[in-house]
Amino acid sequence: MKRWRNLSLRVRLTLLYVGLLALLLAVLGGVLYWDFQNFLLESTATRLRAQAKPIIDEASAAAAPLEHAQTLARDLTSRETVALIIGPDGETVAVGKTLPEEPAPPPPDPAYDARALAGENEVTYVAQMNGQRYLVLLIPWRSAPGSPDILGVIQLSTPLAPIENILLRQKLMLGLGMMLTLLAGLAGGLWLTSSALKPLNQMTETCERIAEGDLSQRVNLPEREDEIGRLAQAFDHMVARLEAAFAAQRRFVANAAHELRTPLTAIRGSLEVLMRGAQDDPAATSRLTQGMYREVVRLSRLSEQLLDLSRIGAGATIHKQPIDLQAFFDDFLYQARLLARDRTVTLDAGDPVTILADPDALMEMLFNLMDNAVQHTAENGIITLGWRTTPESVQLWVADDGEGIPADDLPRIFEPFYRGDSSRSRRQGGSGLGLALVQALVEAHGGRITVESQPGQGARFTITLPLTMRDVDPLEKIG
Amino acid sequence: MNAKDVNPATGPRILVIEDEPTIIEFLRTGLGYEGYQVTIAPDGRTGFDLAGHQSFDLIILDLMLPDMDGFDVCRKLRERGNETPIIMLTARQEVADRVTGLNLGADDYITKPFSFDELVARIRALLRRQGKHPEQSILSVGDMVLNAETHEVSRAGEPITLTPTEFALLELFMRHPRRVFTRETLLNRVWGYDYAGDANVVDVHISHLREKIRDKPPRLIQTIYGVGYALHPEDDA
Ligand SMILES: Nc1ncnc2c1ncn2[C@@H]1O[C@H](COP(=O)(O)OP(=O)(O)OP(=O)(O)O)[C@@H](O)[C@H]1O
Ligand SMILES: [Mg+2]
Repeated sequence: MKRWRNLSLRVRLTLLYVGLLALLLAVLGGVLYWDFQNFLLESTATRLRAQAKPIIDEASAAAAPLEHAQTLARDLTSRETVALIIGPDGETVAVGKTLPEEPAPPPPDPAYDARALAGENEVTYVAQMNGQRYLVLLIPWRSAPGSPDILGVIQLSTPLAPIENILLRQKLMLGLGMMLTLLAGLAGGLWLTSSALKPLNQMTETCERIAEGDLSQRVNLPEREDEIGRLAQAFDHMVARLEAAFAAQRRFVANAAHELRTPLTAIRGSLEVLMRGAQDDPAATSRLTQGMYREVVRLSRLSEQLLDLSRIGAGATIHKQPIDLQAFFDDFLYQARLLARDRTVTLDAGDPVTILADPDALMEMLFNLMDNAVQHTAENGIITLGWRTTPESVQLWVADDGEGIPADDLPRIFEPFYRGDSSRSRRQGGSGLGLALVQALVEAHGGRITVESQPGQGARFTITLPLTMRDVDPLEKIG
Repeated sequence: MNAKDVNPATGPRILVIEDEPTIIEFLRTGLGYEGYQVTIAPDGRTGFDLAGHQSFDLIILDLMLPDMDGFDVCRKLRERGNETPIIMLTARQEVADRVTGLNLGADDYITKPFSFDELVARIRALLRRQGKHPEQSILSVGDMVLNAETHEVSRAGEPITLTPTEFALLELFMRHPRRVFTRETLLNRVWGYDYAGDANVVDVHISHLREKIRDKPPRLIQTIYGVGYALHPEDDA
C-alpha cells in the first residue's frame, strides 16, 4: 500500500484505468466467446437434427423398423457425422461407420442414453475420445413422429475439430483486439492524466521557486474553468496577497529605519561637532544640546509608537471595561486643553452612555487626534470634541477649523509613516505613525475611523465603535 | 570666544539644502568651525533659488526634502548649467539610488547616519578635485614650517622630529592660529572621540612639543589659564 502511495499520481491513475479496462475487456470477451461457442454448437446440433429427421421418419415408417437399424445408421453416417443406434436396453444395435475416412463414434454414455430413452428429445453433450472432442446428439427413435413408443436411441456424433478451429481463431482475434485496446487505453490514459496533471507539475515548480524566495512567481495557467484552473487561480491570488503583504512589511521596515536614521544622524553629527570643539563655545553647546534633546525625545516617541503598533499588530489583548463617556471626556478635556494652549477646545456632549472599551486605548486614540488637530490649526483655532449614540453604535469625533487635508492626501493619511507635505515642512518631530496607530486601535475594538475635510476649512475625524449586546456583558462588568 | 578661525570673506562657501533643524544646526556650527561659510536653505525651492542667485563652492543636498526632492533640485541645477559640486545626503543605500544620484550630476553621496569627520573629508576631497580652495599642505607661522603631506617640520630652517601625536597637535594649532582649544577638544581631535584617558596627557604632550620646537617665552603655544591652549604667532601684539 505504501509503495502504491509512493507512485506518482499519473502512474497510479493510469494503472487504475488500464486495470479497469482490462477487467471490462476480459469479462466482455469471455461472455462473447462463450456465447459464440454456444451458438456454433447449437447451430451444428440443429443442422444435424434437421438433416437426420427425414431419414429417421422414413425409417420409422417401414414395417419392423428395428431390422433396418443398420441401414438407418448407414444412411445417417457421412464424412462428418457418424450414427450409432442404441437399443432400448442400452446395447449398441448398429454402427454407421464403415469407411475409414468416416469419424469414429464415441462410445455411448448410458446416463444420457437413459434420458433419451425416457423420451427427452434434445439431449446434446460433448464427449471426449482419444484426445478429440465430439458433439453428441441423442434422438429417441419413435415408431411414429410424436409417438410415445420409443424403439431406441439414435446417437449422432461429429468431431468438434472444425468448430474448435473457428473458436481458436476467434480467441486469437479477441485476444489481439484486447491487447490493442489495452495498449491504446494505456497510451490514452497516460496522455490524459499527464495533460490533466501538467498544471499541477507547473504549480509545484512555481511553489519551489516561491520557496526559494521569489514571490513574484505565478502559475499563470491559461484560462480554464475546471478544478485545477480554479486551484491555480486561488493559488496565484494567494501568492499575490502574500507578495503585497511582504512588500508592505518591507516598506514598513524601510520607513522605520529611515525615521530612525534622521534623528540618529542629527545626534551623531551634533556630538561630533561638540567634541571637535563646539563644546568650547557655550552658545553653540546649548544650541546643539537642545537639538539633541529634541531628537532623543523624537526617537523615544518613535520607538514607543513602533512598539505600540507591533503590539496591536500581534493581536495584543484589549482590556475592555465599561466607560462612562461623560466622565471620560471630562477627564480628557483637561489634558486636551493643556495640549491646545491658546486654542479653544469645546465639548459637544451626546446622551449619557456607557461603552465597553479599553480606556488606555481610547485615551491614546483621542490624544493622537487631538495632537494632530493642534498641529494643524492656528494659535486661535477652535477644536471640538464630542459624541453621539445610535442604537447600534457610538460616534466620537475630533474636529478642527485648521488648514484641512488636501484631497490627494485623504486616502493615504492612515498609512504608517505617511505625512502630508505641510506636516513635513513644519519640522515637528512627527513620524506619520499617529493615525496608523489610531486606526489599528479602533479596528481592534471592531470599529472604524473616517475623516472628512475640505482644504482650508478644517478636518473632522470620526471614530465609530459598535454598541453590541456583547458590550454590556454582565460578567465583564464585574471584572 | 572666536568661532571663526578663517576670515569669513575667504573660506569656501557651502550651501546646505536640508530640512531637519537639528541636522542644519550641527552642519552650520561644525562646518563654520572648519572655516566654511555656510548658507542654509530649509527646502528644495529656496535652495534652488539661492544656488541661482549666489555662487557657491559646494552644495550639500539632502535627498528627502518636503517640496522638491534632492534628485529634482540636482537635475534642475544641472539643466540650468550650474556646475557647483554637489554632495547628496541620502538615507537610502541602494546602488540604484547611488547611480541615479551620480547620473543626475551629484558628485558624491553620503548615507545617513554619516560621521561628520567623513563629511568634512569628502568636502575637502571634492574641493581639492575641483581645484577650488585647495587645502594648504604647507603651513607656516613665523619661522616655523609644517608640511602636512610629508609630515616634515622645521623651525628657522632646522628640521625637527616629532611623534605622530605631537605632529597632529602642532598641525591643529597651525591650521587654527589664535583659536583656543580646551584639553577635552584636543583629546577628542587628536586622541579620538572614544579616548577614555586622563586629560593630563594633553599637558604632557604639549610640554614635549614645546621642548622640541624650542618654544620659549613669549611662547608660540600659549597656555590660556583655566581654558586650554592656543597658538599665537610672534607678530601678534
Ligand atoms: N487635523 C488634521 N488637519 C490637517 N491634516 C492632518 C490632520 N490630522 C492629520 N493630518 C495629516 O495626516 C498626516 C498623518 O497624520 P499622523 O498623525 O499619522 O502623522 P503625524 O501627525 O504627521 O506624525 P505623528 O502623529 O507620528 O507625530 C499628517 O502628516 C497630516 O498631513
Ligand atoms: Mg499625529
